[in-house]
Amino acid sequence: MQKEELSELLKEYEIGAIDINQLSEKLRTQLHLGKNGKALASLKDCPEFLPLANKILSNEDDSTDPLKYNTEGEEDEDQEGNGQEFDEDVDDKFDEEEQKWRSKHFLAHQEHTERDMTQDHRAPRTVDASFSQEMFPPENFSNVIGEIYRSSFPRRENLQFLKKQIKLKSVLVLLPEEYPQDLLQVMTDNDIQLFQCPMQGNKEPFIHIPDKTLTNALTIVLNPENHPILIHCNKGKHRTGSLVGCIRKLQNWSLTMIFDEYRKFAFPKARALDQQFIEMFNTKDIENVSMKNGWLPIEW
Amino acid sequence: MDDKIDGNATRKETHCHESPTIYIPPLNFAPIVNSSQDIIYRSGFPMPLNYPYLLNTLNLKTIIYLGDKVDLLPQYTEFIEKGEYQFHHLLMNSTTDKNIQELMEEMLELVLDKRNYPILIHSNKGKHRIGVAAGIIRKILQGWSITGIYQEYGIFTGNVKGEMDLEFINSFCVRNPLKVDPKFLPSFINFET
Repeated sequence: MQKEELSELLKEYEIGAIDINQLSEKLRTQLHLGKNGKALASLKDCPEFLPLANKILSNEDDSTDPLKYNTEGEEDEDQEGNGQEFDEDVDDKFDEEEQKWRSKHFLAHQEHTERDMTQDHRAPRTVDASFSQEMFPPENFSNVIGEIYRSSFPRRENLQFLKKQIKLKSVLVLLPEEYPQDLLQVMTDNDIQLFQCPMQGNKEPFIHIPDKTLTNALTIVLNPENHPILIHCNKGKHRTGSLVGCIRKLQNWSLTMIFDEYRKFAFPKARALDQQFIEMFNTKDIENVSMKNGWLPIEW
Repeated sequence: MDDKIDGNATRKETHCHESPTIYIPPLNFAPIVNSSQDIIYRSGFPMPLNYPYLLNTLNLKTIIYLGDKVDLLPQYTEFIEKGEYQFHHLLMNSTTDKNIQELMEEMLELVLDKRNYPILIHSNKGKHRIGVAAGIIRKILQGWSITGIYQEYGIFTGNVKGEMDLEFINSFCVRNPLKVDPKFLPSFINFET
């Protein structure tokens, strides 16, 4: 019986024999519970389990989980102090190991292909001279407006592209994590300035980006002295998308088209609350700053 | 159709500078290349709702239409005249067209002339045909990796994979010498001979 197994596990947890991670792992494997906690929700009729279930669920990718929506949401609090309580969505968390691993494999592969590269799949002679090597843009890379660019967390192989083709001057990172040393080193060597505006992703429905943080970020982004600038978070979907949405608001874009753009880049993980955030973001502060400095309208 | 939407009523509290118009960009609008005033934009077919945006904010010089519609809206023709745009219609159905090679080369020739800038290239929905054109610009003129090109194609098509399109971009190369005047190359092309 599931219920019996459950109370046994609970007892183990209570006497401290296992910690919360082990508990949720056990729940997953022994009781065949879904990773996103959907099945956990079905156990909520077990009253002594409810607070714990919530705690476990907040460790996991949520969004579709009914339990969470039952909890009171919509508090517009600053995330400081609140941050510990909820772990982040996998997409929001920067994984340096994974990043390095992918870079390593990529570069190894690159070396290999370069050795037996033939000329014929390259561009014709007339324009071939414009690039002596293939350019690798970061994932989810795009031009926003003027010399403002967006992307996911760039890896080492993307720096050549960013330096040569974009001629990047600064980078704005929206993550709270420390920037990886090796990237930082390459950036300093290339005179690329790093700005950091730590914000947590909109963690539905508990955590919101405070307007103030975003206004600060926009002050950096809109300042022509920092251009060309690359804005990135981890996947270049949610935080970056919200920020770009706010830039579009400053351009007086219609909300429908702003959201359409947001969803394209966040696909398949668009978050309703990011879009709500864009809609409710008060542009007054940043407009005042920009007017004072003559930053608006931004030139295409 | 409304040519202009007055956003004054709804946005007054949040807007203190004198720009009450809400602009509606065409579907899938975005810059492709943006390098010191040499800008190429991409989009879907501009409709009357979008004209104020294009006329007032972009300062375009050339519009290239990659598409199959022969009867263009009268409003669209008017809009072309009003903006005094150079208009090029490259009649394209899909990447299986017989003359697709020539079409793409013609597109490249237009893009390789500084005097045409800023350029808007549009198709109907701003997804597949323009996705191919953008992919070819990325590949031939900017040397992007195929991964990057596929990614970009995916973003604008909502991850609907156009196998044919991607295959076409992958195998595309310029076969006939392009008629290009080296004096007027746009600034993002830099020769390192």
